Amino acid sequence: MTALVAGLTLPLLAAFAAIALPMRARVPAALLGAGLTLAASLWLAVVVWQTGPVTLSLGGWQPPIGIALRADGLGAALGVMTALVMTAVALAARHEMAASVAGPRAGFGFWPLMLLLWATMNAAFVSRDLFNLYVVLELITLSAVALVAISGKAEAIAAALRYLLFALAGSLLYLAGVVLTYAAHGTLDISLLAARMAAPSDALALGLMTAGLLVKTALFPFHVWLPHAHSAAPAPASALLSALVPKASLLILLRLWFEAMPDLAAPAALLTLASLGAMAVIWGGLLALAQARLKLIVAYSTVAQLGYIFLVFPLAGGDGGAQVWAAGAWTGAIFQTLSHGLAKAAMFLVAGIYLVAMGSDRLSDLRGMARALPMTGFAFALASITLMGLPPSGGFTAKYLLMTAAFASGQWAWALVLAAGGLLAAAYLYRPLAAIFARESAVAPRAIPRSWQAIPLGLAVLSVALGLLSSVPFEFLQIGRPDPAAEGL
Amino acid sequence: MTTALPVLLLMTSLLPAGVTFFLAQDSHALRNALQLGGAVLKLALIIWMLFAVADGAAYEAEFPLAPGLVVLLRVDALALLFISLSATLWFLTTIYAIAYFGTKAELSRFFGFFSLCVAATTGLALSGSLISFFIFFELLTLSTWPLVAHKQDKPSLRAARVYFAYALPGSAALLWAIIWLESATGPVLFTEPPDLSGLDPAALRAIFALFIIGVGVKAGLVPLHGWLPAAMAAPAPVSALLHAVAVVKAGAFGVVRVVYDVFGAENMTALGVGVPLAIVASFTIIWGSVRALQQDEIKKRLAFSTVSQVSYIVLGAALASPLAMIGGLVHLIHQGLMKITLFFCAGIFDERAGVKRIDGLNGMGAQMPWTSACFSIGALGMIGLPPLAGFVSKFYLGLGALEAGAPWVLAVLLASTFLNAAYFLPILYRLWFLPLASGAKGDDRAPGLVVPAVVTAAATVGVGMLAASPISPLGWATLIVTQGYGP
Amino acid sequence: MNALYSGSLAPFAVLLWPLLIGVVPVVPRWRDTALRLLPLAPLPALAFAMAGAPGAVVFPDLMLGVELAAGPDSALLLGMTALVWAVAGWYGAQTMARGREAGIFTGFWCLTLAGNLGVYLAADIITFYVAFAAVSLAAWFLVVHDRTKAALGAGRVYITLAVLGEAALLTGLMIGAAQAEDLQIATVRAAFTDAPLGPLGVGLLIAGFGIKAGMVPLHVWLPLAHPAAPVAGSAVLSGAIVKAGLIGMLLLLPEATGWRMVLVVLGLLGAFGAALWGLTQRNPKAVLAYSTVSQMGLLLVLVGAGSQGVAYFALHHGMAKGALFLCVGMMMLATSPLQRRAVLGLAGSAVLSVAGLPLTGGALAKLAAKEGVGDMLSLALTLSSVTTTLVLGWFLFRLADLPAKPAQIPQWRGLFAAIAGLAALALALPWLLWPGAVALPRGYPFQPATMLEGLWPMLLGLVALALARRLALPDYPPGDVLVFLPTQKLRPVLQLPVGRQGRLYRKRPVLRLLLMCKLAERWLLHWPIAGSALMGAALAFAAMVWFAV
Repeated sequence: MTALVAGLTLPLLAAFAAIALPMRARVPAALLGAGLTLAASLWLAVVVWQTGPVTLSLGGWQPPIGIALRADGLGAALGVMTALVMTAVALAARHEMAASVAGPRAGFGFWPLMLLLWATMNAAFVSRDLFNLYVVLELITLSAVALVAISGKAEAIAAALRYLLFALAGSLLYLAGVVLTYAAHGTLDISLLAARMAAPSDALALGLMTAGLLVKTALFPFHVWLPHAHSAAPAPASALLSALVPKASLLILLRLWFEAMPDLAAPAALLTLASLGAMAVIWGGLLALAQARLKLIVAYSTVAQLGYIFLVFPLAGGDGGAQVWAAGAWTGAIFQTLSHGLAKAAMFLVAGIYLVAMGSDRLSDLRGMARALPMTGFAFALASITLMGLPPSGGFTAKYLLMTAAFASGQWAWALVLAAGGLLAAAYLYRPLAAIFARESAVAPRAIPRSWQAIPLGLAVLSVALGLLSSVPFEFLQIGRPDPAAEGL
Repeated sequence: MTTALPVLLLMTSLLPAGVTFFLAQDSHALRNALQLGGAVLKLALIIWMLFAVADGAAYEAEFPLAPGLVVLLRVDALALLFISLSATLWFLTTIYAIAYFGTKAELSRFFGFFSLCVAATTGLALSGSLISFFIFFELLTLSTWPLVAHKQDKPSLRAARVYFAYALPGSAALLWAIIWLESATGPVLFTEPPDLSGLDPAALRAIFALFIIGVGVKAGLVPLHGWLPAAMAAPAPVSALLHAVAVVKAGAFGVVRVVYDVFGAENMTALGVGVPLAIVASFTIIWGSVRALQQDEIKKRLAFSTVSQVSYIVLGAALASPLAMIGGLVHLIHQGLMKITLFFCAGIFDERAGVKRIDGLNGMGAQMPWTSACFSIGALGMIGLPPLAGFVSKFYLGLGALEAGAPWVLAVLLASTFLNAAYFLPILYRLWFLPLASGAKGDDRAPGLVVPAVVTAAATVGVGMLAASPISPLGWATLIVTQGYGP
Repeated sequence: MNALYSGSLAPFAVLLWPLLIGVVPVVPRWRDTALRLLPLAPLPALAFAMAGAPGAVVFPDLMLGVELAAGPDSALLLGMTALVWAVAGWYGAQTMARGREAGIFTGFWCLTLAGNLGVYLAADIITFYVAFAAVSLAAWFLVVHDRTKAALGAGRVYITLAVLGEAALLTGLMIGAAQAEDLQIATVRAAFTDAPLGPLGVGLLIAGFGIKAGMVPLHVWLPLAHPAAPVAGSAVLSGAIVKAGLIGMLLLLPEATGWRMVLVVLGLLGAFGAALWGLTQRNPKAVLAYSTVSQMGLLLVLVGAGSQGVAYFALHHGMAKGALFLCVGMMMLATSPLQRRAVLGLAGSAVLSVAGLPLTGGALAKLAAKEGVGDMLSLALTLSSVTTTLVLGWFLFRLADLPAKPAQIPQWRGLFAAIAGLAALALALPWLLWPGAVALPRGYPFQPATMLEGLWPMLLGLVALALARRLALPDYPPGDVLVFLPTQKLRPVLQLPVGRQGRLYRKRPVLRLLLMCKLAERWLLHWPIAGSALMGAALAFAAMVWFAV
């Protein structure tokens, strides 16, 4: 319980410290806060592993009067992933967002924004109240938009404004849905909603909330804001935006459908969600193939990778009796969420290093980078393996689980999407890989310390290790798993 | 010990790989010692295991990943056959590669991936479950890619790209097949054939086809073979490894596993997929040879020859009669020995005489007698000249084809013999009979390069001459078939 | 672990010895002089054959289990082969230039010899096949030794047909072995009768052996290769090596009847056709080669007719033909008219024997051959003497016209004596072997009717020869059928269009697709579109849920 609270409060405290303390002490304070929050997240995970879901009612008030926080396996796992990415980004940002490199405004603003984002992400992972989640989402959006715009370049500001516009539209839809729900049931607690009496307005409420969350999760065709926003931000910020931010709204979507209103799961709606996911996989892949800049490729890859997760809606519970596990598709989708987060952060951090070293992320300028900075090349390659879904990475485990469910439930068309997506990923990641590993090295890049290079490598290794050591995370995700995850929607 | 040994086997190449990556570029002695040490250790372990397995010992190690994803390392007779080939040839290739590269640049990277590639092959051989087979299969793809691209010049990079472009769809097909199958049967272990009754024949046929596409890319089945000749841009030790030990062999080995341990010969026959596979293999045998005939570059010709020869193994598996299977399995070893000899020699011709094209070989027999003699033995073995290695495989395949009631295969073998003669004999003729071109010179005073070739050439003769002895590859293959897959 | 071998090592030593001599030239220092060892290589085999080819041996671990044992026919042929090789080897050792190429020649000479001996000793099909491959393929080096254009051209034809023959033979053997489930020659032979593909197998065996034995129309290599090879090589090719095909047929063709007619017809075609075609040749070696085709044709007829005298006939022909080829060599080396006359005389006596002059070895061979082949074939055999006399008489004229090469060699007399010995054995050995090998009474050859039957076709042949001398005989290059084949037209077939490798997709359409995606992406960015899509999505989800619940 303490761990849960610590995970929420420590980053907030650190954010205040990063604003309030004198200039010299800000970064160390932020780093200290990051370390402590990481410890708190891990601690929470250990507690959940040992004792099951941790529940906390604020002020001792039970829902519906009070607001409940609950860390289950899913929330705690996302928390750990977030903590790992955040810590890595913080370490990288020590170099990259130093005032001397990124300018005084970015050098100042990045730390509190990042820590605020972290606190709100953690809140999103454990909140059980739809309105509370709305507030958290808004905070996440605001800090994310600020992070996009932090460089102050015209291009970045345009991208940030577009992001804001889309995000606010999404928020409004979501809020409308929340209001309808509250009007009908008088509660917004997820657990209580699961036991509610069905109301006629539920359909509209769910539709509005889903659409709103889809925008925030950047599902095709509402992804258009994402690539430019992510590529315009400074690289450490991009890492956060791409690896973490969409996961918050995604989690809410999952909770909404699997925990709050599983009774409303209409087959057509599930099919539509998965179809949009499939289209995202293909579309994102194709557009990533058409890009000439590393960050844009990686950003479009996010669009594609997020698409996979939506396949969970029709596939959940489709594992059939022949399997030795349950909830394969659901767990696979979460695995995809986790491994994508780690790998994508690694990729953006590599892109950041290249930007610092070469001043450009055009593929034509990156030829031979692996020779100059071998660890980054290796990190990018490992992360690519995860995104391509090749064994023994976490991405492979995710795809394997999803694909098995697709076959076992006779919906093998989704397996086609998974296979095609993997091949597309291989195609669009091959280009940067080929460039990075090319023989020539046109300009001698700026020296990058090995400790900095090791950061993305660490994340990439983690994304592979998630597959190599997948049995523990698998078990962990089953803690507090909602029933429809195993039985299907 | 029974669980530690498979892991230890894997580690003998995995650990050198891990360490080598981080070695400085110029610490040649340490790197070479690591590589050779690992290879020797592995060889010793395998020899020890050969005796133990012959006495009935079983080795197994299991690592559960996510449920259903079990990495199972198991030593059975078939695994041992493949692994002893790869360990022996790895050892020789390591010596060769050390001599070949000398003190060139980027060697830590090269030998790191080199070891990783062998680790993947070892894992592939030891895989006791379908999913671990797939995992190592992919690892193999990933670890050979940097080897193909090693020179980092334009042809190499193109070759690497083409390799990837073929390998990944193949992997996708394989994964698709595995998951389709396992979604109905649960995880498939090679020890116990899965119960296929839950799937209807049409689905099983489709799964079989997907399996064959998946492993067929690596095995170079026409029309999935395009990457193989392109990959010739890689340095000679890589080609040797690719063609004789690792990639192509992994594909062929995969076909054997799929046919015998996943589907089972009876099921394959009942489904009526054996004959189409045999036809594909036959077509590959002929097509590869015809294309080999058209090549002017030594390595290209050898590459197409591989395309053709590896399908003998596939053919043996597809025919599904005991003798054909013996022929196919023994060709796994024999082709490896012969082809690695040829590639070693091709590399020596390139290194020591600067000869890449066939017309440059004129008169090299007198200049480089050892190399030329080894090349000749390899080539004659490929043609199937008795009593060399290739003859034994061919003979068993032919008998097996008759046993399986597929006499048309004899025509394929006949045609292949002819085509092999047509593309190898002119090379030998040039080597030994035509006068040396003016200005051409070469020598084979490079023991590190020549000795491995001589050893494999001697083995090519030896395994044919002593085929009937129980410790020969033929004896081992017979043991596998009579014990494991007999009626 | 099996014992290394069981049985007597004598047959193995017979094969091992030439192989050991064959590796001598591998040592550079000995390479130039290795040629001297040639006559020694077949000596153990000769001794072994004279001792009656005793003993058998099994090597269970070697190849697929090697078994060596000589049958009754084999022993005769083994001895003849060893003898021909020994004399030819001595000739080669004395006359051929030393040097690196002589080293190569020595090595492959010995390998060919080992193969040639091996076909008589093999008791399992794998050993037989290995030996056959050795004798076929290694002999290529004997053909191309001179490296002249003609020799290399002949070599190409030879190796092509040899490889074809090997392949056909192997396939045939596989068909038999698959049915027999055993590798013993006797078992495999018996299995052809029941094998589902038995007729095909037999056909392939006939083709495989027929190529070696100069069976029409697979004989084309023979008239090309024999003249092109050095004299010693031609002698063994024509005298001994062709018999490998013969022993193969004797050992492996089953008792069934279907294939016999084929052999008889093709044999007769060769026996008469090749002899007549020999008249179109000017090179005495080519004429002899056609005569070999003709004589081998007779042997094929005998095999087809099931005659008991095949080995006996072959024994005589081998030695006589070996001596004749060596005579051509001696003639080229003859420096004085006396020597030329002596050579002509020697050749003449051998010719008379081959043509079947009564009381010569050749006549005996023919008598033995005629036993039990039926009247028609018996008559054909008698008639073949006409053409044989014709073609060999023509050979003698060609031989007499052969210009001498001015090369003095010291051992001319010794060599001549050896060759004369070989010819004498051809004439005499059949007498010695008559009681054991032929089931006819001892006095049979002396009967007047028998003598007359042998004499009149020869006289007829002489008349024909006299007539032929008056005709303007055409002068064709050797190789008959092959010369008229459009070989050059086959070449482009092999040069199929070569596509580029590894091209999975065409670039342009893919790029166009990607461009379209980019445009569409920009279109999605417009707020009216995005906004309405958003609202649409919300309402659509709501509707779907509404209607489903």
